[in-house]
Amino acid sequence: MDSPAANSAFAKQIGIKFPLLSDMNKKMLKSYGILKGYDVHEETFEWALRANIIIDKQGIIQFIEEGDSAVDPNTALTMCTTLHKKEPAN
Amino acid sequence: MKRKIALGLLVAAAVSALPAAPHAGKSEVAKMTLKVGDTAPDFTLLSDQWKTVKLSDYRGKKNVFLAVYVLAFTGG
Repeated sequence: MDSPAANSAFAKQIGIKFPLLSDMNKKMLKSYGILKGYDVHEETFEWALRANIIIDKQGIIQFIEEGDSAVDPNTALTMCTTLHKKEPAN
Repeated sequence: MKRKIALGLLVAAAVSALPAAPHAGKSEVAKMTLKVGDTAPDFTLLSDQWKTVKLSDYRGKKNVFLAVYVLAFTGG
């Protein structure tokens, strides 16, 4: 897993403005069912699925995309826009 | 222009020694256990600023875009 230090260096490198998170104890990945074990050469290795998940303000999952289809974020971004438009103007 | 995405969270879940093609042994076909309409399980993660970030902190405030990256670009 990438450490906060590695993520910090990467965030500075590309200038991102949102939190870059590390799941060092793999709790989140397990609770979301994203962490999977694979048997390779008589050892089990764990790594995460590629996934995009959109959660609304009420904490309800509105969109899930996983695996190869999640590599392209455009569908998820469209869903974000749709979700944003549905919200009543404050 | 108002940002359409209220918040983006990126979980960098890279594993440094991931084999490129794990053809040896059985590889499990992974499927997420959650589905649309479920309540997202709360989590607490460490940010790149070494601060804890809780999903529930955004409840009632912002939508969350959670992008889980395997083999992120950080070299970690």
